[in-house]
Parts: sequence; C-alpha cells; structure tokens
Amino acid sequence: MKKTVSRRAFLKGGLAGTVAATTLLNSKSSEAAGSFEGYPEGMGVLVDLTRCVGCRSCEAACNLEQGLPEPAKPFDDYSVFDEIKHGEKRRTDETRYTVVNSYDVPGMEHPLFRKVQCNHCQEPACLTSCFVNAYTKTPEGAVIYNSKVCVGCRTCMVACPFYIPTFKYSSAFDPKIMKCIFCYDTRLKDGLPPACVEACPQEALTFGKRSDMIEAGRQRIKMNPDKYVDHIYGEHEVGGTAWMYLSSAPFDKVGFDTHVPKEPILNSVKDFLSIVPMVLTIWPGLFVGFHLLATRKDAAKKIEEEKKEVKS
Amino acid sequence: MRTRNKLLHCALALAIGTALSGPFTANAMDASDAPDLITIDSLTNLYGPVEFDHAMHADLADCALCHHHTTGIPAQDPNCLRCHATSGEADTVACADCHTADRFNKDYLESLDDPMLYHVDKPGLKGAYHINCIGCHVEVGAPSGCQDCHVMNDSGQQMFKTGDYAPDPQDHNNGGH
Amino acid sequence: MKIFSKQRPEIPIADHVRPDGTAWSLKEKLFLGLTPGEYMQQFFRNPVNWLMIAVFAVGVPLLLQRYIYGLGAVTHGSNDYPWGLFLGFGLFGMVPLSASGFMLGTTVELFGRKDFKPIERLALLNGLLGYFFAVLFLEVDLGMPWRLPYPMFVSLGPAAVLFLVAWHVATYLSVQVAEVLPAFFEWIGWLKGKRAIRKYVLALTVAGIILSTLHQGALGALFTYAPSKLHPLWLSVNFQWIHFFCSSIFAGLSMVIVASTLINRFASWRCDDNFKNNLDYITIGLGKGCSYALITYLVIKIVAVAHDQEWAYLLTGWGSYFILEMVLAVIIPMFLFAIGCRNKQVGMIRFAALLAVLGIVWNRLNTALFCFNWQIYQEVPHWKEVWITFTIFALYFLTYRFIVYRLPIVYTWKGEK
Repeated sequence: MKKTVSRRAFLKGGLAGTVAATTLLNSKSSEAAGSFEGYPEGMGVLVDLTRCVGCRSCEAACNLEQGLPEPAKPFDDYSVFDEIKHGEKRRTDETRYTVVNSYDVPGMEHPLFRKVQCNHCQEPACLTSCFVNAYTKTPEGAVIYNSKVCVGCRTCMVACPFYIPTFKYSSAFDPKIMKCIFCYDTRLKDGLPPACVEACPQEALTFGKRSDMIEAGRQRIKMNPDKYVDHIYGEHEVGGTAWMYLSSAPFDKVGFDTHVPKEPILNSVKDFLSIVPMVLTIWPGLFVGFHLLATRKDAAKKIEEEKKEVKS
Repeated sequence: MRTRNKLLHCALALAIGTALSGPFTANAMDASDAPDLITIDSLTNLYGPVEFDHAMHADLADCALCHHHTTGIPAQDPNCLRCHATSGEADTVACADCHTADRFNKDYLESLDDPMLYHVDKPGLKGAYHINCIGCHVEVGAPSGCQDCHVMNDSGQQMFKTGDYAPDPQDHNNGGH
Repeated sequence: MKIFSKQRPEIPIADHVRPDGTAWSLKEKLFLGLTPGEYMQQFFRNPVNWLMIAVFAVGVPLLLQRYIYGLGAVTHGSNDYPWGLFLGFGLFGMVPLSASGFMLGTTVELFGRKDFKPIERLALLNGLLGYFFAVLFLEVDLGMPWRLPYPMFVSLGPAAVLFLVAWHVATYLSVQVAEVLPAFFEWIGWLKGKRAIRKYVLALTVAGIILSTLHQGALGALFTYAPSKLHPLWLSVNFQWIHFFCSSIFAGLSMVIVASTLINRFASWRCDDNFKNNLDYITIGLGKGCSYALITYLVIKIVAVAHDQEWAYLLTGWGSYFILEMVLAVIIPMFLFAIGCRNKQVGMIRFAALLAVLGIVWNRLNTALFCFNWQIYQEVPHWKEVWITFTIFALYFLTYRFIVYRLPIVYTWKGEK
C-alpha cells in the first residue's frame, strides 16, 4: 500500500497555517483526514424507482424511528403527492427527514415515485463547508451531525447540492440542523439497515455495502436494459453518494438535478484554498517592498541629513 | 367446476412441461399439492394476516410465474442457466425457503461476499411477495392498494398516524410547515 | 449644532480645554459641549432622528421576537434559501463597503501618500464600523448567536472557507480597532496609548492588506460551495474570490466618498478646514482609484464569462439581468468616475460613488439571494426581515454619526497629540 498525503489533509494543513495554529493538526479533526474517496466498507442503499409504489411506509417509519413531530396528514394519505409549494414538490424539513414524491412521466402508464433523503456523500459538501466540524462521515457510511458545536450559520445548507440539511427555524433557544442520519445512532452502527429500508414492502430500497450496491445496480441494468436508464445516479455525482438511484425514466424527469458536478463540491473551492498560503507568504514581503520603494525619496533625504550630521 | 378446471390446468402444465424440458419434469409438482388457502402473517406487527387464496391464483397463472423453477420446471432465466442448466429439481417450493425474511441482517449481507454466489440481489421475503404480487396486480388491474390485501391493525395505525391516531387537522391548518 | 456652533466659539469641541482655559469633562465632551437640555432640543429638531425613532419603534420589538421565538418568526425560515437579507446585505454587502480602511491605510501609511491623510481616519472608521456591524448582522442571523467564538476556540473546522472568514474578520476587526484607537486616545487625552500604537502602524497596515485580500476573497469563495445553485453568470469557480476582492476596492473607496460627502454636507460644523479644503482634491484621487478598479473588475468579469464559455447565457433573461447589472453598477459609474476625474467635476464623482455603492450591494444581493437557486424559485424576503435589516443599518448610521460628531475623525485635535 502506497501512502500519500490525502488532499483533505493537505488543505487542512494549508488553512490551519493561516492562523499559525500548529496544534490544530493534532486536534480531533485530523482523524477525518483519511481517504477522501470514502470508506471502502461503507454501507449504501440502492433506490430502485421502478419498484417504488409510493406507499409512504418509509416516511412513517422514519417519523417513528427519529421521534419526529406528528405530520400534518396521515402517512397513508396520498393527496400529499399533489402538494406544491413555490412550484416545487414536497421537500424535507424539520419535521421530516425523508419524503416520497410522485412524477408523471410522459409515455408512462404509472407515475414514478422518488424518495428524497440525505444521500450521504462520500466527500460531503456539508462536512467540508462546516467551520466548526459539526459533521462526520462515519466508516459505516453515514454523514452525522453534532448539534453541540453548531453555531447555526447554515453554510451546510447552502453547500449541499441536494438541499438536504434543514434548520429548526422554529426554535430560538435550541435550533439545529435536522437531516437524515442513516439511522446511525439507533441502527447503522450496529449493522442494522435504516428504518425506511426495513419498512419498504417493495424492497425498492436495497441496503448493503456501497460497492455491492453499485454491482447490484449494474446487474439490474444489464439484465433489463429496456427497463432501466443506463445510469446509477450517485455512483459519480458529487464524487459519489452512499444512496444511489436506478430509474426507468431520464433522471431529470423525476426530480433529480443532473447538472450537479461529477466531482466533490470541495473541488470547486480548491482554487481559492490554494491561494491562501500564497497570499500569506508573498504579501508581507511584497507590500513592505512597495513601502520601501514608495518612500525611498524620504529615506534618501534622511540618509543625506544623517551624513551631513556626521560630517559636521 | 373448480376441480375440473384445475385438473385441466395441471394436465396442460404437465404437457407443456414435458414437451419443454424432457427428463427433469418427471416428478414436477402440481398445484393440488399445495393448500388452497395460505395464511401469510409475516407483517402482523402492522397488519392483520393475509389469507392468500392459492387455489384461485393457481387457476389464473402458471406455477412458474410465481415459483420460478421450484415446481419442477427448470430455470428459464439466462442468468440462472449459467450455473443451473443441469441442476436437478429444487428441494423446496415455499417462498420463505429461498427469500429470507431478514434480508438485510449483517450475517446475510456478509454471506453475499462469496465470490461464487450470483444471488447477491435476491429480494427478501417481503420484497419477493410484494414485487411479485403488486407487479401482477397492477398489470391485470387487480386490487393494488395496501389495505386491499392487508388491513392495518392498531400498531399499524399508530405508525402511519392514521385512523384512531390521525392528526387533528385543526393543529395543522396552515398547510404544513 | 450648526446654530450652537455659530453662537458659541468653544463649540465644537476640538481641544481638552475651553478657550478660557478650563478643561472639558468627559460628560461635556459626550454632550458635545451642550447642556443635556440643549442636546435633547437639537436631537428632536432633526427630522432624521424622528425617522430613526420610527424605524426602532417597530424594529426593536421585531428583534425581540426574533430572539424569543426564533428566526422562523421574522423570516420565511426557508430551507432553500438559508441565507437571507441579514447575510446577503449585512455580511456580503457591508464587508466590501468597509474595504476603505485597508485601502487608505495602504495608500497613506504604505505608499506614503500623505496628501490623503485628511480622509484616512474616516476611511479607517468606516472600515471598523462596517465590519463591526457585519458581525452584528451575523449575530442576528446565526441560529446560536451565543456560540460565536466556537469556530475559534471550541470546535475547529480549519478546512472550511468560513473558518478563514471567521478568523480573518475577527483579527481584522482587532487591527481596525487598533487603527482607530489613536483618535479615541487623543479625544480622552491618553497619549501613552496613542504612541504605543503608532509604533505598529506599518505592521498593522500590512496585516490589514493580507487579511482583507483573504477574507474579501473568501466571502466570494463561499459561493463556490454552491456551483449548481448559483447562476453561472454570478459564479465563477475560478475567479469568484478575485471578483469579490476587486469589487471591494471600488466599493470601499466609493463608500468613503459617499460618507465624506454626507458629513461635509450635513455636519460641516464638525469638519475642519484641513478636511473641507482637501476634500475635493481627495475625492478626485479616490475617484481615479475607483475607475481603475472598475475597469479591472469589468475585464475580469468578462474573462470569467469567456473562461466558462457562458456566452449563451447572456441571451437568456438572466443574461439580460446580468448585463443590466454590469451597465448600471459597473460601466456607468466607471465612465462617470473617469469623466469626473478628467474634468475635475467632483459632483459627478460623488454621484458615481453613490451608484457604485448601490451597485455593489445589488451585486451581493444578486449573488446571495436573487440569482441563487435560479433553477427553482425566487424568494421575496419577509417584511420583518427587511425591517430588522433597516433597524441594524439605522443603528450603524447612529453609531457612525455619534463617533464622527465627537472623535477627531474629520477634524484635527487641537490639544496635545
């Protein structure tokens, strides 16, 4: 095994230097500086839109497992599929970590249903944008959040390409980020599937090692080339996600953003991060030099005066 | 009427089976070997048991449509044939014998790491039932709503926040959050 | 004040002692040499103060509501638009407008342009207050304002851009306090403190340049976290930081022009001849700087469009809006600055500065709000959010005025220095 300095470790080093805090590198945060391609044994879920029947069992199971507030409508009320706000279908919020939306696809007899929840990125944008290190990508594959250190700046919400983290705006004294955590505390860390997967009657959600899920997805596409679009959404999107999707309709027709970058969000921030050490090291010398140049006449005058004084 | 139909049907199946697959179908099963009514109670934590009219379904479809290759008819799927072209008849016929009820438990997932195993994407029992049943029901226009087959019990209503546990619309009159 | 300063030779206060030799007490200095009664009288005579009272009458209860019932009570509490006006205007708008401190610090202290000295303190104060109120806006917006020091001392995420912003704004704020302190020391008459700081001016100035380059740039780089959300014309992954940095140069200079114009016009009793007589000359100098910064900014904006192959976007509705922004907020002020400098038309430069200030706020709001989530829907801020933003801005105005009326910012202290 060849050991190389990972990029995240490098960036951390560069930025930590900006505050001249060498101790930072010894802090807990450096633990996360492992392979940025995600943990090899990380778990994942393959969501097969062709199997989902829109029963909302996953929503109900999530609500129960995570102890979320009572919903506005029962989970067997399917009128929610018609709810539109700001021209958009339902989204996750502080009362629900997952929602299922229905899409009528032209040329298809039945609607397709798409489940939305945190995709648990391999190199999560929320994590890399967080300046108090509130997020952790666990070896099991979950992206979890520590509300004890969060200041509520909501940069993670801006950074998440999937609009997943939501904020408990309703609270003044205990606000926090609310999002799917892959049932990490109650299930995943013990090797159990998340509640939604267990509740799904159709096995539209298949749980397993992420690498196995990619294989399973490829096999399903290969065995049924007419049924599936030849793409696993999440295999490469934003550097790969633990939750991935198969669909029988083009992904942009069923609510997916097909324009997200194919590399981690952090890559687009790299340009700026790389100039930081440059500015820090070059600017002082450069501007002191400018100062000496700009004031050289005054300096020359002073020297002449001093010379005169010495002579006399 | 029913018995005669069934006989006819089985005879037909036998005839086709024999014609298609030669020696392996010598002791193929027949629908009359199965109970007419099967109680499926694997989801009783949320729903009442389902009384599955096996006889009626056997009338409507080929055994292999649901039972794949376990009722004497050899595997048809090209993926299966890669290994099982010459395999003998399956020992069992019940869904639960192949489709595990605990599909995502750790040990089962680890057993899938066997490089000789191709059944890595085999649905669990609940998935197998629903994919099979609902797929066909939707296709032929049979009932396909959740409670058309199983009635939610009290704990189901509790989880789905419905029936006796339905939210009071007065509390949510601003249309959600 | 105008009336009082005409009637009494000792007002405005510019020395530790009255002409008759008796010393001013601190209380008298605070009341501008007036009796409390006279002070209240002139305060309520000013219609601007009535406007302020009206803003606060509604704004303070709204702020209380925000701190008791949460952000959701005064904003739409949107999960699609996590950042609203408090940050879009308060942080992303106020910070570039406050780049004046490091710009004039550099000009005067580093490049030795002593001819800009009469406005240096105003520029430094403008910078300090802008940053201070940007932090105050942040305190309104943060979910857990009491955890402001967390990124510094409790839980560190050093690989995040915001970590850099937090550290640099905090450090720079201290640098600016140090830079403005000499004026305060003169006013209270503690010369030891002033001399101690004087020694470090060059170091403070260089630190100011470094920190400003990085955090002005970092505010832009924050948006590179959202490459698929912000409209490509307002986001250049490669050049965002330099767009923000470059635009902060003319934004800061223009803000000083606007502030000095207002002070010269409405608080001329406070300005001394050194300030008044040099202001036109300085304004032309600043205007020249603005026009250079604007042309540079325009070029790198076009370079970014070319680099990312975004010409096709220019033909869409968003493209028209982008061109409108470029014309109104960049090209027109650029020409007005250039023509004004060439023909020594100070009025034109002042108008150009006003355009540039509004233009930069518009640009930051476009980036943070209007062109964010361009593929979904556009959010209109809640009226309470707008009002609170005005309230904090009003507080900024009052603080600004309070200090300019007292400390030797636009006048030279006549007493011991």
